[in-house]
Amino acid sequence: MSMPVTDNINSFNVYNVSNHYTLAEDRSEILTWLSPLEPRIRHQDLRTRRADNVGEWLLEIDEFKRWCDGAQREGPDHAILFCCGGPGVGKTYLR
Amino acid sequence: MVGLTCSDTSSLVVDKLCDMAGQRNIAVSCFYVDFAAREEQTPTNILGSLLKQIVGGLEKVPDEISRTFQDYKKVIGGRGLRVGEIVKMLQTVTSLKPTFICVDALDECVERHRPEVLDSLRQILGESPNTRIFLTGRRHIRGELETHLSGKAVVLCIKPNSDDIVGYVRMRLSKDTSLRANDSGLEDEIIKSFTENIPET
Repeated sequence: MSMPVTDNINSFNVYNVSNHYTLAEDRSEILTWLSPLEPRIRHQDLRTRRADNVGEWLLEIDEFKRWCDGAQREGPDHAILFCCGGPGVGKTYLR
Repeated sequence: MVGLTCSDTSSLVVDKLCDMAGQRNIAVSCFYVDFAAREEQTPTNILGSLLKQIVGGLEKVPDEISRTFQDYKKVIGGRGLRVGEIVKMLQTVTSLKPTFICVDALDECVERHRPEVLDSLRQILGESPNTRIFLTGRRHIRGELETHLSGKAVVLCIKPNSDDIVGYVRMRLSKDTSLRANDSGLEDEIIKSFTENIPET
């Protein structure tokens, strides 16, 4: 009587494990299918090269805080923040 | 590159949001547009990347997405998504929790692709009011933003302030092996000449 029960448990386990593997493979395959690009690499590069504390003031100003904290409260009028730089901001300056 | 470039601003904001994500249940997704990579940075890939990062943060891939993947896999050796399909999926996943989407250097996006990217962002916001979008770019694309985002963007003009410049110059000098480490007089002189010349833009 005990044998078939054990068999059942085993086969159930095997089924579960293989199913789990399929999901994990699918997941990474799905992510690559959504886009082959990896923006996190560029982010990591910028993060490493950025000087400490540069631009921190931006995170403290009202416009930014309202945009950042207001996800639940402020409604769609504060949904988009556009930071624009003129020619004075960027590579050509101070080279 | 000095002081606060658009990309520095974006990476700073993305880092801040990632820190927040450690404490609050939010999703963060970013994309850095680069003119040099314009061939591969199509609207499909830009929006697909934004979607991928959000889906990657979920415990389970939403059924709508995995079902489409399984269906598309069976034909022509794997069919890709169209922009409209990606936007629909983005609308679904951004509705699950507050989501922050950052797109850097929009002006570097090929001009004929920009309207499609901006329209897609507007459509996502329309369905998902808890989404927040952060964009950077040169001033000349402001008009396009107003047209395609229905004038909803709060505009902030950035320029390097003197603290940013001093911080940057000190960092570069500290890495300059040809400069004598204790020559602080020279360092001060260099910083002074830079800060006196910050343009009033």
